[in-house]
Amino acid sequence: MKSDAGIMDRLQSLLSNGKYVEARYQSRLVTEVNFVNGRLERIKTVENAGCGIRVLVDGCWGFSSTSDIAAEGLRDSLEQALSVARVLAESKKEKVKGLAQSKMATGTFSAKVRGNLADIDIEDKVRVTKEAEAATRKHSSIIKTASATYREILDHKILVNSDGAAVELYDSKPEFNIVAIAKKGGKNITANEGIGITGGWQDLFKKSHLELAQTAADKAEKLLEAKHPAGERTTLILDPGMVGLLCHEAIGHTVEADFVLSGSVVKDKMGQQVASSLVTLVDSGRSDIADNAAGTIAVDDEGVEAGRTVVIKEGVLTSYLHNRESAFIFGTASTGNARAFAYSDEPLIRMRNTYIEPRSDSLDEMVKETRHGYLVKGARNGQADANGEFMFGAQETYLIEKGEIKGILRGASISGNAFDVLKSVDMVGNKFEYDIGTGYCGKYQPAKVDGGGPHIRCTAIVGGMQ
Amino acid sequence: MADILHLAINEAESLGASDVEVYLVAAKESEVFIENNDLKQAKSQAASSIGIRVLLNGSLGFYSTNNLDPDRIRQAAAKAVKMARVSPKDRFSVIPGKSKVQLLRGIYDRKAKSFEPADAAKMAKEMLDAARSTDSRVSVDSGNFSSVLATHRLANSNGLDLKERVSIFSWSIMGMALDGADVSSFDFQSAGTHSVKDIDAASTAKEFAQTVINSLGAQKIDSFKGEMVLTPSAFVELVEDVLVNSINSDAVQKKSSQFAGKLGKKVASELLNLEDDATNTQGLGAASFDREGVAHRRNVVIKDGVLKKFLYNSYTAKKDGVRSTGNAGGSASSPPNVSTTNFIVGPGRPSLQAMISEMRHGILVSRFSGNVNPVNGDFSGVVKGGRLINNGEIGPPVKEVMIAGNVFDCLKNITGLSRERKILHTSVLPYTRIDGVSFTAG
Repeated sequence: MKSDAGIMDRLQSLLSNGKYVEARYQSRLVTEVNFVNGRLERIKTVENAGCGIRVLVDGCWGFSSTSDIAAEGLRDSLEQALSVARVLAESKKEKVKGLAQSKMATGTFSAKVRGNLADIDIEDKVRVTKEAEAATRKHSSIIKTASATYREILDHKILVNSDGAAVELYDSKPEFNIVAIAKKGGKNITANEGIGITGGWQDLFKKSHLELAQTAADKAEKLLEAKHPAGERTTLILDPGMVGLLCHEAIGHTVEADFVLSGSVVKDKMGQQVASSLVTLVDSGRSDIADNAAGTIAVDDEGVEAGRTVVIKEGVLTSYLHNRESAFIFGTASTGNARAFAYSDEPLIRMRNTYIEPRSDSLDEMVKETRHGYLVKGARNGQADANGEFMFGAQETYLIEKGEIKGILRGASISGNAFDVLKSVDMVGNKFEYDIGTGYCGKYQPAKVDGGGPHIRCTAIVGGMQ
Repeated sequence: MADILHLAINEAESLGASDVEVYLVAAKESEVFIENNDLKQAKSQAASSIGIRVLLNGSLGFYSTNNLDPDRIRQAAAKAVKMARVSPKDRFSVIPGKSKVQLLRGIYDRKAKSFEPADAAKMAKEMLDAARSTDSRVSVDSGNFSSVLATHRLANSNGLDLKERVSIFSWSIMGMALDGADVSSFDFQSAGTHSVKDIDAASTAKEFAQTVINSLGAQKIDSFKGEMVLTPSAFVELVEDVLVNSINSDAVQKKSSQFAGKLGKKVASELLNLEDDATNTQGLGAASFDREGVAHRRNVVIKDGVLKKFLYNSYTAKKDGVRSTGNAGGSASSPPNVSTTNFIVGPGRPSLQAMISEMRHGILVSRFSGNVNPVNGDFSGVVKGGRLINNGEIGPPVKEVMIAGNVFDCLKNITGLSRERKILHTSVLPYTRIDGVSFTAG
């Protein structure tokens, strides 16, 4: 990506007309390789570069984007943004009253990587994907279908705004996913194993591609013969992936300030007890506690440093997630949650890495102190409503009787009200992990996020078949 | 522009590629969003993107960039060739030869060029006002108005060189009616056109408003078995994805289509006629050629209930030893897939009114909200904006009615299709009456 020279200056030159102007150049390189059953199903590299310009005129936002980043193209695009904002100002009733004062970031920020992905040959990316897919099928004759996907997103951003932000950002987010489908008789099961991070090639393959294949295949093999758990409301020990999904999907969205403004379930709950006092829930732009979290960003797309936001402190709701506009309305500071996916997207309030902080219990102790319940592993898809009601899929469950794990059962759906579940938390583990980094959060546009925590013990409904 | 495409072809060929295809899309777009009964945001965008597909000894390489600088295009072509050198060979890989393409009329309006974001905002405002002025109980949750002007260019090393311009105006509106504590079902309406003079967002808004007002005061009913009439929107939500998957040759070849092995067999009521037709300029999927430059044509997929053909691109066609049906789809940032263009269900004889008057007991389903498995056709979910039909008359709105079943069974149980049809983006659909449906009270 060499044609970026002089962009910072050209963007700066757009800022001189007394209004709030924000200009974000983004150059993105996405490479994807996918093998299914020995066949190359997909291979491509996509390069996208351009500039998104956002302006605030008469209390209305205007946004324009262009792939023409020469001085003249940028000028035209700025004019478009100003003109759409003015048009809107004529008929829009509800105006933006202001933006919260924020310390604007300056300087260069680069994601920490071991093994720069741009330096790894495409040949290696094809090779590991092909080998992992083949290894998954080779593991056992009952694995009838396998798929392996390598995907990387490399970003270079330059962001300036008229409040003084001037930053250059380099980001690197690779992911690797294996799917194994086992079939025998009338039974079939789909298992997956994946990793998605912020980091480089060595960070991604801390566990080798063949180990990941082995894990996916093992899982499919074990689960094929497993029975379904009975449906009941009972004690559950959630693994870090399930905790991450709960934090992000069922709690996180309800505390996004734009949802709070449109009446989310926590809108009058600030300062109140919303969870067990063992629960401290954080959304952070940094990769706290463990390395390489996939949702890590140094600076958000309004130029605010993306720090650590404690959403729930020892059970008490302490903060929503803000951009500068919502922070102004609530009379607080932006939490650095304004994110845009591509240059052609405008920033929205999005999460980053959302997790529960670890405490002192070991997983062994948690199991030992459970008379009857389940250990629930492997976050799958999830749905949650604005009132905190959720239903998540898990890949595997393990029955616990009298303090002992009794054997593996098939995946199940877990449901309940997220806040009730958090209130029921009575043990919080001591080993922390991020584990939903392969997923994308969808809210008008995608975003790379992560979530995790230690194991936690709580009460919820385990729903039998899914 | 012409130079860029051939620059890429020449570069890739000189580096050893046997076949090269270059697809370029340049688009200008304005969009205005509605939220909470107010205009929310306006956006304008200018974007171009080029996709370079190369074959080298049967191996595929693909590189896409939106930087049209000649040096960058050469690098992109070189990277695509490099990728092909490390990809495994696939003997079905193919870039099609030259085909005769007749350019369609009626998909590009010159006036689109001077359609400004301000015009889009005016249309969005009109739509919002039309909904709100129909009845003060109408609440618009969200909506949008968008205009897109796109130029498509496609060239390949077999001498193909095509260009086409398309203009698309589309809009949507979603929300409910509120009357004290009574909240109606959500409704969603959308429409679109290729030409400025046919923009009519106000009518769409009025239909939305009327639907939500009519679903106020909904009553619970007892479970019963009877007929349902699907509106075109409900047909899209319940039936269309299943048919789209089933007629896709890629799904057939991967054994994830229930229509595999059923060519020439009856798969639906003899009332059902289904075409995929990109040459029908009413649909927003109209275009003269597909993602690989194969000429579009009218493909009769189901005739009088009998399955006539699957939809192919060149790759899946080669696998089955048939000709492409012109259904290569996808953007410039991906190699071609197999896609429908305009999904068109033939009209029936009776009017909607006449169709309803023949019904003894049933429900008019405005929308369906639930899960549909596109492969096996199983569905379950809730009827939205449902109206009870008794002895040929439309009665009160109903609430909390569940339906569950299988789409393939529904296709066989079609007992009527209306004369009236609606255009919903890339679908042209009548109202569809289906018998043998179990309505379960919630």
